Amino acid sequence: MKLPRWIRELDWRAVVGALLLGGILHIAATLAVTALGSGNAFQRMRQTLPVNRMVILPPVAPGKEPLPFMVPDALYAMCRYDVSEDPVAVSAALAAAGWTLSLHTPHGDNFYVMPAQQLRRPEVSFVVVPGVDRLSDYAPAPRRTSAPGSQIASPSLEGLVVVRAPLRGLAWRAEAEALLRRASCAPVKR
Amino acid sequence: MFVALAVGGGLGTAWYMIEGGSRLSTRTFGPWTTWVAAGRPDADPYTRAHTARNGLLPLASTLELTYRAKTDSAGGRLHSACEYAIVMESFDGAWWSLAAFDGQGRLIQNAAERYGYNSDTAMREPDGRAVITLARDARPGNWLPIGGGSRITLAFTVHDPAWAAAMYDGGAGKTMPQIQKTACR
Repeated sequence: MKLPRWIRELDWRAVVGALLLGGILHIAATLAVTALGSGNAFQRMRQTLPVNRMVILPPVAPGKEPLPFMVPDALYAMCRYDVSEDPVAVSAALAAAGWTLSLHTPHGDNFYVMPAQQLRRPEVSFVVVPGVDRLSDYAPAPRRTSAPGSQIASPSLEGLVVVRAPLRGLAWRAEAEALLRRASCAPVKR
Repeated sequence: MFVALAVGGGLGTAWYMIEGGSRLSTRTFGPWTTWVAAGRPDADPYTRAHTARNGLLPLASTLELTYRAKTDSAGGRLHSACEYAIVMESFDGAWWSLAAFDGQGRLIQNAAERYGYNSDTAMREPDGRAVITLARDARPGNWLPIGGGSRITLAFTVHDPAWAAAMYDGGAGKTMPQIQKTACR
């Protein structure tokens, strides 16, 4: 079979070079989207959330969505934590199915999540500490807090705590809000 | 020309893999597509870029999965000018939520201020199924208002660790809800 003339005239070195360049750009662009993160959830919430304080967000409504595609029939509390100076104590009550307490890195990785479970106490509390690879940046001993409860190692010094409280109907809204108000996020002084 | 092809091809394929996904990062069941590693710290670069670029904050996909649909079960683009019936079954015991958004993940304004249903708020048929009707005007039962003359994206979130884990390992999913177009203006 005779190939078209323009194909026969192609310089194979230029083709290989173009494929290599395209591949490099493909990989670089994919990694850059995550690394630069100008539009990621953490950057979007950064301006509205104070550091190390739990905030109950307004109900999700048109024009007031904190983030895209958030479950609308739920209430949310969020905390922008920063463990660069002190560990952060987090607590919440997870009342029913669908309630979750989750921790996310600035890149959106959900490195810890606690769902509500029927046969467990609804109260959840733990202390967020810097991850092992961050401990070298951390102040000298003591490196860990003596606060009671579990310790969760955060892979990043900053991140988001999210408590999601699905609504079972309008009649349960006040109850859900009251439970959500019990959620807290505060630095633990050493 | 080669540089243009390299730049266009490299960036174009990156955009396609990040926005639309591929078999490497997503699974599709009829009109529903999910990013199987969403939220996981060990997610592939395309999933992480998709999450970052779209400002999403998903729970780890080993606990909860979110499926999105832009078409009905027959392949037609979801549009607020039409009406759809979505039949929810085989999700007993799992918490789920179904909501309608525009293409950018924003809620659709409506006078009823109703934007979604979940497993607690959806009214059940005698056989246990829940039928959710997407329509511009009020409908009996689980009416989810859509309007504004725009394209619709449905988001279906299922909180079921056993199923999510099976899906991540490549197992079969449950029967996903059918999206049936019932009328169009």
